[in-house]
Amino acid sequence: MPLGVSIPVSEVRRYMGFRGPVESSPETDAMISKAISSLEKDCSPKYVSRAFPVKVEGFSVYIADIVIESRALARNLAGCTECVLFAATAGPACDMLVKRASVTSSAYASCCQAAGAAAIEAYCDLINDKIKEEYEAKGLYTRPRFSPGYGDLKLSHQKDWFRLLDITKNTGVELTDSLLMVPTKSVTAVIGLSPNKLPCVKQGCEACTMSQTCAFSRKE
Amino acid sequence: MALKDRLGKEWLFCDGGTGTILQEMGLKGGELPETWNLTRPDDIKSVARAYFDAGCNIVNTNTFGANSFKYDNVEEIVTAAVNICKEARHEAGRDGDAYVAIDIGPTGKLLAPMGDLPFNEAVRIFSEIIKAGVKAGGDLVLIETMSDSYEAKAAVIAAHESCDLPVIVTTVYDESGKLLTGGSVEGTVAMLEGLRVDAIGVNCGFGPDKMIPIVKRIAACCSLPIVVNPNAGLPRTEGNKTVFDVGPEEFSTIMKEIAGLGVHVMGGCCGTTPAHMSALIKAVSPLPFKAPVRKHGTYVTSFSECVEIGPKPVIIGERINPTGKKRFKQALRDNDVDYILTEGLKQEEAGAHILDVNVGLPEIDEPSMMENIVFKLQSVTTLPLQLDSTNIEALERGMRIYNGKPMINSVNGKKENIEAVMPLVAKYGGVLVGLPLDEDGIPETSDGRIAVAKKIYEAADEYGIPRDDIVIDGLAMTISSDSTSAIATLDTVRRIRDEYNGHSILGVSNISFGLPARELINSHFLTMAMQNGLSCAIINPCNDHMMASYRAYCALMNKDPQCLGFIGAYSEYKSDGTFGGASSGAAGAASASGSGGAKLSLSEAIERGVTGRAAEAMEENIAEGREPLEVINAELIPALDKVGQGFEKGTVFLPQLLMSADAAKAAFEVVKKAMAGKPRQVKGKVILATVKGDIHDIGKNIVKVMLENYGYDVIDLGKDVPPETIVDAAIKDDVKVVGLSALMTTTVVSMEETIKLLRVKKPDTKVVVGGAVMTQEYADQIGADAYSKDAMQTVRYCDEVFGVQS
Repeated sequence: MPLGVSIPVSEVRRYMGFRGPVESSPETDAMISKAISSLEKDCSPKYVSRAFPVKVEGFSVYIADIVIESRALARNLAGCTECVLFAATAGPACDMLVKRASVTSSAYASCCQAAGAAAIEAYCDLINDKIKEEYEAKGLYTRPRFSPGYGDLKLSHQKDWFRLLDITKNTGVELTDSLLMVPTKSVTAVIGLSPNKLPCVKQGCEACTMSQTCAFSRKE
Repeated sequence: MALKDRLGKEWLFCDGGTGTILQEMGLKGGELPETWNLTRPDDIKSVARAYFDAGCNIVNTNTFGANSFKYDNVEEIVTAAVNICKEARHEAGRDGDAYVAIDIGPTGKLLAPMGDLPFNEAVRIFSEIIKAGVKAGGDLVLIETMSDSYEAKAAVIAAHESCDLPVIVTTVYDESGKLLTGGSVEGTVAMLEGLRVDAIGVNCGFGPDKMIPIVKRIAACCSLPIVVNPNAGLPRTEGNKTVFDVGPEEFSTIMKEIAGLGVHVMGGCCGTTPAHMSALIKAVSPLPFKAPVRKHGTYVTSFSECVEIGPKPVIIGERINPTGKKRFKQALRDNDVDYILTEGLKQEEAGAHILDVNVGLPEIDEPSMMENIVFKLQSVTTLPLQLDSTNIEALERGMRIYNGKPMINSVNGKKENIEAVMPLVAKYGGVLVGLPLDEDGIPETSDGRIAVAKKIYEAADEYGIPRDDIVIDGLAMTISSDSTSAIATLDTVRRIRDEYNGHSILGVSNISFGLPARELINSHFLTMAMQNGLSCAIINPCNDHMMASYRAYCALMNKDPQCLGFIGAYSEYKSDGTFGGASSGAAGAASASGSGGAKLSLSEAIERGVTGRAAEAMEENIAEGREPLEVINAELIPALDKVGQGFEKGTVFLPQLLMSADAAKAAFEVVKKAMAGKPRQVKGKVILATVKGDIHDIGKNIVKVMLENYGYDVIDLGKDVPPETIVDAAIKDDVKVVGLSALMTTTVVSMEETIKLLRVKKPDTKVVVGGAVMTQEYADQIGADAYSKDAMQTVRYCDEVFGVQS
């Protein structure tokens, strides 16, 4: 099954580490388009999602049987009545592609790595849009998606996501003891649902506490 | 009556869902269902009892997830589960005709190389459950809901090594008929048949209607009894509950339809209940039963690919083999795995369908090398492998950890050899190459060879290896010493096809040994052999003449629909005989591009990152008689430095730095080839490792390439490396610098542990750290000697430590 969404070249270049207006060379262009086309062909994306009622009290967030202590998430979900937890993966092909490229060309390996990151983000955006559409029809508005590990939302909550969504069985993604996901091009997140539409929500790099120091931040 | 005597001879019925019923009974979200074996045994018994009462013949113990990742009292939990199920059967009055299945589900961990669970560790974990279940009196092992063929293989091996009970395996496919890890229906069936399970099937995933296309595919290729255990439709959430929509009547109606597709055991999975099973049994029992029939396909598989032998000739790449190759031998001695993998990848890009793997060299530990290379190859290529060795232990180690059904090269007609090789194939499965030679030597005529082939077929019968899984070698031997030898070989190939309806294989290039222009003889011989029915050709797929013969033959014999393969390969063919297309871009993305215009010098090629030209320029330099080391110091290193400085200043970006590094690496490879067998000069030894718990190693790999380019000997310990391994390696080779990488804050802890252990056991070793979350401050905090923000800084740091002037 192909990826079902196209991978933006500009995002791949950003993840590769290009900054500012750089002249593109035929070599890098060829490499990027090769990586993009193999990923669009070989990815086998899967996702699982489930809606839960949510309650926010102070900096505590209550979802299903879990309590999450996080200022950032509490702020993100303020005013929400429900939320959708989801997990998505681009599948195992990307990891193999990177490993394979590492044997012959480190430049191509880093290019595949970047294309994989852009692929899973593009796929998450696709799911995000689906969820947004589905709930707007019911009069609920979505908040920007938020993942374990962002800001002060502890990575250890990955375990809750995996349990509540039965992620391993549904998508083939495993959580290692050190809380990393395999295949690596995988994402877990929560999307808040609120009866009130919020004006102009900051999201992505602009909302991240690391944006000043991050090498991949979307700046300039 | 024993289950083995009934499987495939009459309708048998499995039970339905357990987890979903326990949830109804109050099992909470995070609660482990198997704990109820100890805390609520009566509830567990009531579920089993209801299935026995409904008429099910095979009822599972409540042990789906009873593994040591979740429990430290596996034996207690499993024993209780088996006892409960046996009691339920007794109370239902079904002791005579129903069976207690030791239920085995996936561990929840992904196996290495994709994940972090080593194959043999998975076998150990499954064995623990199965042994406890057997001891408590289970009647069969039912391995279910497997979405990774590799994990299923581990569970089957564990079952066979723990008991003689029947083993049933059912896997989960998605709607396109793929496992989550990419395996196909046909490939999975072939692997499981090779492992000699007793029945194969499908469970969970979705409802019976959507299973129909998958069941049809299984029925088309599977020679064993087939099991079908669907869900009661797709799960749906209603509030906080998971519900299923297909009721007993609807379920049994569709199952009745499936019963007619040639299946033998039926039951249910998530959402199905005793009522579903009652309805199913009532609907299906009266239907006529058709016993399974042998399908006669020959398949070689990897975790995701399935190559069928027979419909058209199969190309087996011969290049992973040290015979007559100085550089390859050097790579084996130096444990230069990347070189060996590169040989594999080149052949894949050139069009090989299967890769032969021969890593035998008298002075190395061949079994360990075979295991390591098989493991590494299957993490970078999807092609199936042919394990090629005369060392029985090497064969077994490779076969055990192989993910799929491999080809095995080879067995011969000698009694001793048959007795060593065939039991392995009987245990692990595989398509076996038979060499028609025996105690009396190599028969010169096809009559003699056919006689030995017959002996090999008969031995296979004795070991229960299907004749479909035997491929006879026609034994190509050079015509330069016996001008009739090609005729004998071709006759043998043809007779295997005509007299045995069998498959054949040839190491094609042996035919021309000792002659000039070998590729001319080889490629024509290949065409003749294919025309005589050759099934598998072991050749060098990077040789244009060989592939031209193959593609032309396929186009001419209607084995290349619309000649698409041929046109794709030769659309840029020039009539002066230069070959365009498939085999020219073999070395990867970076080398395929960047040509054209005036020839670049070595330093220009490196600065601009043109891999192919860099290698060529180095070859030219050496051909002109320049000393390789002088070229490196005068051209290669200054060019790399220039790019490195640009990177440090921010005028050159990472991709450009890496392309230059790749180009330099290609130039070095030329030097290595020229100097194979001679001692090398190195600046020093450096260990690199991605620390325990961390699996992101791309940064570490980049540092490795850079360090090697700058003349360091890198000991790459890989990823997820425990502190002890790093320390031991540092002590063993007295290594002065260790580089550690970690991507996540959660794994920086392992970095700190590694540093602490090094300080105690190898205090004079310096530690340099890097990785996404690393900062100078963080590095100081965990006691590292240095922090490097990128690969160039690591090179500079090493130069400093080793006192190299840059």
